[in-house]
Amino acid sequence: MALSQIAEIGNLTLVLGLVVSLYLIFAAIFSQRKQRPEFLVSVKHGVWVIAGLTTLAVFILEWALLTHQFRFEYVASHVSRDQPVLYTVSALWGGQEGSLLFWVWLLSLFSAAVLIQHFGQRNPLVPWVIAFMAFTQAFFFALLVFITGPFTLLAQTPADGIGLNPLLQDPGMFIHPVTQYLGYVGFTVPFAFALAALVTGDLGYEWIRVTRRWALFAWLFLSLGLLFGMRWAYVELGWGGYWGWDPVENAALIPWLTGTAYLHSIMIQEKRGMLKVWNLALIMLTFLLCILGTFITRSGVIQSVHAFGVSSMGPLFLAYIAAALVIFTYLMYRRLDQLQEENRLDSFWSREATFLLNNLILLGAAVATLWGTIFPMLSEIIAGKQITVAAPFFNQVNGPIFLALIVLMGVCTMIGWRHASPRHLLRNFIPPAAVALSAALALALLSVRDLYGLIAFTAAAFVLTTVLLEFYRGIRARMRMYRENILVAPAQLVNKNRRRYGGYITHLGVILAVIGIVGSTFFQTDIQKNIAPGETVSLGRYTLQFEKLKMTQEGNAQVIGADLSVFENGVLVDTLRPIKAYYAAADQMTTEVAVRTTALEDLYIILAGWNDDGSATLKVIINPLVVWLWIGFGVFVLGALIAMLPDPREAQAVERVRAEKALVGASSATAP
Amino acid sequence: MASVLQNSPAKPVARASGYSLKYIFGVIVLLGVIGFVMFNSFQSNAVYYYTLSELYAQQNELIGRTLRVNASLDKASIVNDQKNLILKFNLIEGEHALPVVYRGVAPDTMSSGESVVAEGKLDGSGVFQADSILVKCPSKYEKSPEQY
Repeated sequence: MALSQIAEIGNLTLVLGLVVSLYLIFAAIFSQRKQRPEFLVSVKHGVWVIAGLTTLAVFILEWALLTHQFRFEYVASHVSRDQPVLYTVSALWGGQEGSLLFWVWLLSLFSAAVLIQHFGQRNPLVPWVIAFMAFTQAFFFALLVFITGPFTLLAQTPADGIGLNPLLQDPGMFIHPVTQYLGYVGFTVPFAFALAALVTGDLGYEWIRVTRRWALFAWLFLSLGLLFGMRWAYVELGWGGYWGWDPVENAALIPWLTGTAYLHSIMIQEKRGMLKVWNLALIMLTFLLCILGTFITRSGVIQSVHAFGVSSMGPLFLAYIAAALVIFTYLMYRRLDQLQEENRLDSFWSREATFLLNNLILLGAAVATLWGTIFPMLSEIIAGKQITVAAPFFNQVNGPIFLALIVLMGVCTMIGWRHASPRHLLRNFIPPAAVALSAALALALLSVRDLYGLIAFTAAAFVLTTVLLEFYRGIRARMRMYRENILVAPAQLVNKNRRRYGGYITHLGVILAVIGIVGSTFFQTDIQKNIAPGETVSLGRYTLQFEKLKMTQEGNAQVIGADLSVFENGVLVDTLRPIKAYYAAADQMTTEVAVRTTALEDLYIILAGWNDDGSATLKVIINPLVVWLWIGFGVFVLGALIAMLPDPREAQAVERVRAEKALVGASSATAP
Repeated sequence: MASVLQNSPAKPVARASGYSLKYIFGVIVLLGVIGFVMFNSFQSNAVYYYTLSELYAQQNELIGRTLRVNASLDKASIVNDQKNLILKFNLIEGEHALPVVYRGVAPDTMSSGESVVAEGKLDGSGVFQADSILVKCPSKYEKSPEQY
């Protein structure tokens, strides 16, 4: 088959995808509005067809990338012959067209997954869910068909491609976009169910129950996206940090914040039938922020609004967001009378109140971050002048907000539902407060002088104690009641209430990460020095001896590295080699740092430059405790996974509701 | 207030508007605090973008203020003192040329850069002392790191 025919097939899959999506919107709505269930059969088939079409399109593009079909414009600009296979695979999501195709592919797979999940059930929400997901698919297909297609052919076949940006040739950047997109796309499902609930008027807990795992799944992948993005920045960008409040980083963080708020506040609706409007608004916000995140990441609009005019993607994205916003808000307004609270807040001193506060704080952080992120764009549009804020703004605003959030995390664990007695609360409060104060005292005696760092560590110690106490009490109770031994009791404690203890494990992960963040933010030290071979540079306990510069060819890059011997308190402990790599194909240099990680601190070395006389300029940084950030993320993920496992309690509750419904159905059937 | 908080047994289902003033007040105070902190630190951290012609039009008022300039990079003017980590280059726009000094590790993309966004202060002698620089590359690199 000729290449042009293959490209035609690729384009055809996208056009057909668009047509079928539009049909699905129509057929799904028609089947429900006009009570024509036969249309529903074609809707189901349509979902499979779209999943097949997008899979074919992804397959074609990936084939073109892997076999170096440089006549494809996308291949020519994202792959080169000397590029490792791993990054040839990941070039699929390394550029704009490919990543939009990747988006719609994930979405079509998720639609199919929703169908499978509800196979054989008559869930009246599902047709509406499919209709909305098809609407979103149609939008992305339209972008790919009309604006920016991945199957465009060049007039001539170049001998070699430009290759993937060397900065993206890193394992972290292989995995980061995948996880980020799974998160972004994943939130479409709970949002579509919320929309379906509004349309059908089935506004109880059902839509949340059905999508709780979807929301957790999406949120988990947003978290992983943040983790891999931070890890990539830390090892690949080479400035010694992992978070710079860059617009693209913020675009990933903001939906994570609102998603976190959502996962907490739906518990209130589940337990008390409260916050119904709030939860709907939160899931809408989270979903739209995911779309906005995709847009910000893909368009580069924040750097300059001029990027907005270059392709018509910008207005289309805004139109989509506006459409989803208007439809959802209108439906919510129409159903307001059905969204009454079943209970009200009994007391300030209740877990509900702390959840509410946690929601407001998370939302505050999201709004502040969003404001700082889009303000340059707004000011350029409105005043014709770009006004930016950088890291200090985000740190000053979000620092206190996150501190309050952490403290609240501890308080929330100690406080009961509905109405806690102050005496009980005080009794719970004393042990963690005592631990926190001793920790503060100990740190002060260890000459930790940074006030903010000290406060943050104290807060972390407080919360850590409350969570550990919670586990201790639970384990002790099980050992007494069920005579379980010290190994069985903790496992059973988590196993018997996976959601609750999964949540606590997630909190534990957050606190560990906080310890890493505080350590590396407030107690970082660094030194820059130009040294000749044989000379040394010292920082903290470490002394680095520069042996020599060495030039090598590694894969598609020319590499120059500085061989260093690392002495800790005068003892040789390691040899490190920070390098700079020059990628000739892309005419670009990248810095690869050398890191020695211990539980206490990272020794982080950047080769800043070298000179003809054989000397090298090194930047050496000590990042205290930073490894706990990554460990904390690991614990966090484990907790989220445990909370996602099937829960026996939940299954019982569902059975009970089903039985009640059946009973009601039976009685109403016999009544007349 | 207390009576509002107690559900009377006859009417167990509360209305949405049933939240007491106390809570609404609390929410307003909280949002107010966040808003105040946001506004305040926005004021002290806002940095204005200038083109070179704007910069030279108001040169005297802008001395010593933190600002951002965005202009083309004169590649021939780059002097990178790697031993002392002092990077010097000129930004150009029309007939204007602004000398910039940056103390730190030069970005890897410097030599292939097309334009530069520099944040820092203009000193009395007309030299821009940059605290941070961001190099923008020709469009064939579609994917600058900031876009990810």
